[in-house]
Amino acid sequence: MAQSLEEDYIYSDDDDDDDADPNDYYGDECMEEDQEPVDEREPDPEHFDFKCLTVSEAKNFLDKQVQETCGKLKVDKRSAQVLLMAHGWIFSELEKRTEQDISNLLIEKGVRARNIPQVRKGGYVSSCSVCLQRKQPSDLKGLLCSHSFCKECWSKHFETLINNGIATDLQCMASDCHIGAPEEFVLSFLEEDSHRQKYQKFVFRDYIKSHYNLRFCPGADCSIVAYSEKPQSKRVDCIQCKTSFCFNCCGAYHAPTDCETVKKWLMKCADDSETANYISANTKDCPKCHACIEKNGGCNHMQCSRCKYDFCWVCMGDWKSHGTEYYECSRYKENPNIVNENAQVKAREALKKYLFYHGRWENHAKSLQLEAVTLANINKRIQEKVMKNEGTWIDWQYLLNAASLLAKCRYSLQYTYPYAYYLESGARKRLFEYQQAQLEAEIENLSWKIERAEKYQRGDLENQMAVAEKRRQTLFKDFFPT
Amino acid sequence: MSSGLPRRIIKETQRLMTEPVSGISAVPDEQNARYFHVHIAGPKDSPFEGGNFKLELFLPEDYPMAAPKVRFVTKIYHPNIDKLGRICLDILKDKWSPALQIRTVLLSIQALLSAPNPDDPLANDVAEQWKMNESKAIETAREWTRVHAH
Repeated sequence: MAQSLEEDYIYSDDDDDDDADPNDYYGDECMEEDQEPVDEREPDPEHFDFKCLTVSEAKNFLDKQVQETCGKLKVDKRSAQVLLMAHGWIFSELEKRTEQDISNLLIEKGVRARNIPQVRKGGYVSSCSVCLQRKQPSDLKGLLCSHSFCKECWSKHFETLINNGIATDLQCMASDCHIGAPEEFVLSFLEEDSHRQKYQKFVFRDYIKSHYNLRFCPGADCSIVAYSEKPQSKRVDCIQCKTSFCFNCCGAYHAPTDCETVKKWLMKCADDSETANYISANTKDCPKCHACIEKNGGCNHMQCSRCKYDFCWVCMGDWKSHGTEYYECSRYKENPNIVNENAQVKAREALKKYLFYHGRWENHAKSLQLEAVTLANINKRIQEKVMKNEGTWIDWQYLLNAASLLAKCRYSLQYTYPYAYYLESGARKRLFEYQQAQLEAEIENLSWKIERAEKYQRGDLENQMAVAEKRRQTLFKDFFPT
Repeated sequence: MSSGLPRRIIKETQRLMTEPVSGISAVPDEQNARYFHVHIAGPKDSPFEGGNFKLELFLPEDYPMAAPKVRFVTKIYHPNIDKLGRICLDILKDKWSPALQIRTVLLSIQALLSAPNPDDPLANDVAEQWKMNESKAIETAREWTRVHAH
């Protein structure tokens, strides 16, 4: 008994494992033969190597890069920082430029002055050309361009620009002078701690934003910086705030659709949402008895509470037709005669097509939200069962795993719609929509079974989980670039 | 009233009075020393020649760290000046330097009248006309100058 308890712990820790049957309680005894060997030759298209760095780790990383560059190019720290920033912190890119001519590059980037600065003669009374106040020459400070201004003006100049979010781009005050102000120079004029902190925060932000391998986590108030050796449009899961985002565009994770397409899609949705909202209302009538039905669960397999008719919420058709291979409600049927129609018909057809995809996109987003409610219900049910001595808490964990797998699959399914919308008609689109339909059918089956978990055997549910995840992986293998 | 006024603004105002720039006048408002009534004469050999354009110029609280705010009050047909009189000029935006002055800003605006830049437009319709049919655009600018700028 003690031994099997220990096994429970090992298995229940496995929450995030992507493989099928991750938490199989009876794994050793009865499921072994069913498990497929992991195929090593086919890489997981969603796999992505990244590291989550804290602010100080990121700073150390940048410092190390600066130091290495100082050594390799034989330049000072400031030059290395400016040059790295201008080349996305990719040393090989920078090296290509510096091989030709490093001193002109430093002049171009405002690190060095073009002309040898004239040395001002001291001794006479002079004034600051910004505030026009008389100053001792010793009170006038300047960068290597020899444009000198008083301490008060430098402070005000820097504070004003820092408040506008400018940090690494701070320059000399003279007009048309592009000599940059190094960090120590700026800090020497900032007296208030709040200004100093703000400035240093912005400098760090500028470094990260210009860095090819680093991204800020887009989570609210999250300070994590993600690092990847080979940046790609793949998923990053923040270890601190748990946000999932795309490393490339820092938007919400959107596989299998690419960054550009999803951006276009989201823009389109924002533009057309009024029409779409108007057309896709929140309630629908039962296709048989016309009772008004509000959807209160994630599953799209609906059963009218009045007439017990089973139908699909998406296409409003009989659910029976969804059981077979010919599940087609995720496929948009284009009008084959569209080329011969006039502009008005074409515009209507375009709107119809958009609304078709947008309706499904919205529907799965809503289902995803509603399944959060299901999850809360599952937790409640587990509590009740445990209190009634119907199995232990661990016994019921498979329900939570099922719910999290369902959320993952539905999320991917949601993001297949923008992909399909922009895919050109043809064999590839037909294959995509076939796989999408298969995935959708299995997801709805899973959702249905989870909502009615009491009526289904655990094995039945876990089998359904494996099938849904397999469908998801199949679609990703074919359509999401590795 | 002017006790809180920075020396820089006082000095600049004095110099604008004692050494005026030809074709430009800038007079501070009686109520507000940071608000200037500006007149710029249309430059010679430009479609604005002969016109007398009225502008308003305001020095914000953080001047000279921030650029002055300038706007045409007189209607003008120019690709870089819009219906509301707002001006598209780099030194009034990101190229501002605290070393620039009211005088240099007004000189730049005068120069903009001599050399319209339809490739960096603010008034899109005007810029388009300027590129498509320059002679007609110049004709319109002359017409507007004659009707509005006197």
